[in-house]
Amino acid sequence: MARRLRRGLGESSTYLLLIVLAVLTFLPLLLMAEVGFKDNNQFFTNFWLPSAPYHLDNFTAAWGEIAPYLWNSIIVSGGSMVGVCVLSSFAGYAFARFRFPGKEALYYVVLAVMMVPSILILVPLLVEVKTLNLLDTRWALILPYVAAGQTLAIFIMRSFFAGLPEEMFEAARLDGAGEIRALFSIALPLVKPAVSTVAIMQLLSTWNDYVWPFVAIHSEDLRTLVTGIVEFQARHFINWGPLMAGYTLAALPLVILFLFTVRYFMEGLMAGALKV
Amino acid sequence: MALDTTRGSIMQGTGGRTMWGRGTPPSRLLLPYAFILPSVAILVAFMYFPAASALYHSFFDWDGATTPRFVGLGNFSEMAGDPVMQAAFVNVLKLVVFNVVIAMTVPLGVARIILNLRSRRIQYLFRVLFVVPLVIPQVVIILIWGFLYDPSSGPLNQILQAVGLGSLQPQWLGDPNLALYALMLVGFPFVDGFGLLIYTAGLQGISGEVLQAAAVDGAGGFRRFWHVELPLVVGQMRLMMVLNMIGTIQNFVFVLLLTNGGPGNATQVPGLALYWNAFQNGRVGYACAIGTVLFLIMLGLTYINLRFLRASADYDPGTD
Repeated sequence: MARRLRRGLGESSTYLLLIVLAVLTFLPLLLMAEVGFKDNNQFFTNFWLPSAPYHLDNFTAAWGEIAPYLWNSIIVSGGSMVGVCVLSSFAGYAFARFRFPGKEALYYVVLAVMMVPSILILVPLLVEVKTLNLLDTRWALILPYVAAGQTLAIFIMRSFFAGLPEEMFEAARLDGAGEIRALFSIALPLVKPAVSTVAIMQLLSTWNDYVWPFVAIHSEDLRTLVTGIVEFQARHFINWGPLMAGYTLAALPLVILFLFTVRYFMEGLMAGALKV
Repeated sequence: MALDTTRGSIMQGTGGRTMWGRGTPPSRLLLPYAFILPSVAILVAFMYFPAASALYHSFFDWDGATTPRFVGLGNFSEMAGDPVMQAAFVNVLKLVVFNVVIAMTVPLGVARIILNLRSRRIQYLFRVLFVVPLVIPQVVIILIWGFLYDPSSGPLNQILQAVGLGSLQPQWLGDPNLALYALMLVGFPFVDGFGLLIYTAGLQGISGEVLQAAAVDGAGGFRRFWHVELPLVVGQMRLMMVLNMIGTIQNFVFVLLLTNGGPGNATQVPGLALYWNAFQNGRVGYACAIGTVLFLIMLGLTYINLRFLRASADYDPGTD
């Protein structure tokens, strides 16, 4: 009885601690959303609590400015996502299911990229992109993103392809299916979870990137969401209501996507641990 | 033996199949290379080439456009005497120590107490909750903290005002004695969702037998955590340590957006100095040298960690 009571107490204090931590974690974000509904007068007179009238117009105005950035982010992250998924499927398949001279060496070439930190290549990559006449184009973002996402993606795809039973491929070969058909109609459908993991990792890392798009893109109409929101901040500086409405809108797209794909996100994040 | 030769002749008989392609005809021998070529090409073009370029140009005086001028180790010796770089390295060391200590404790503690909850659904719910901030762009979080720290309108100083400490209201990011610590506090209470998942996986991987044995020995609660579980998640702690070291050494977005290295050089970090030298001062060669030094530091840290990992793998904790 006493033990049970103690355990109950232990559990309620655990709950209390976790709820306090969650509140502290989300308080700045809740404050952001709450301030987003205010005009400057409400902000200065009634700082902490929501107050009527609720200025939805802050959000509609911010949306007008942020939607083009969002669209650019979708194109860039989406493009690099498709690129990484396609290239890593082919390469992962080759590394998993073929034997050929130089396989080990090539795999090391892929894996050793992990040792190249982004800070090292930042400046020379910009010089290179400028030389290739790609500066201030979407390709300046997509191509390096595809390159940076390759290693982890190939690693994941290879291990999934390697886990498929050989008999299945033997059967396909006897039926006269070529390797490309075997890849597309047998192997890929079986490793869908790996593909979604790869896609989500790529989406997360490119969507939230700031420094590279900041230096590689100068045209206002090509800015990604994350660099655009910093521009937005400069435009609306200390106009807190509209500013926070904009931040809220910038934070939401991936959160919404996350809510629909929680399981894949969690698994994708765990797969990220394989990186080291 | 005879059988082997027969088999070999059959292989040759069917049109030059070799050991390499699992019995595929020669036209398909090139297929794996064709599959891998696009990946390797893009890696060479956009990772290896710029990396080699950075290492190479660290020995040059270069503005990124005109002909580089070889200066030997000039950039590196200049760096050693550069007061900006000295401030930057001291600051980043403080940030690394702080972030590593946080990453090895807070998410682990939270992972542990979440596992104390009886309902698995609620365990999962809490984990999902703490993962949400990961999908919010870091830049948005940083900008919100810029608002929290705002000296006149920010909530932190509003609170001080409300409790009658209005005279105390600091310039969080404008005070050279405070700015670096204010940057460290961004992200409080530091329940990193990624670390949480890693530690959870580690703790769940501990076998029930080990925990039962601990229970039989009367080790419960904190003692069980300290003596039984902690030694078994050292691998995860090391992983978090290395990831955080490498991440902190490279990440200068916080500083760029909140203080731009100031006031003075109070929050200067090497990444920002690299950025300044390359994009503001046009000193691309010097920036490459900074990048090279950071690269070597990260390489060294990874190497040390790998040696540690090997050492701990040789030691079998199950035998004592």
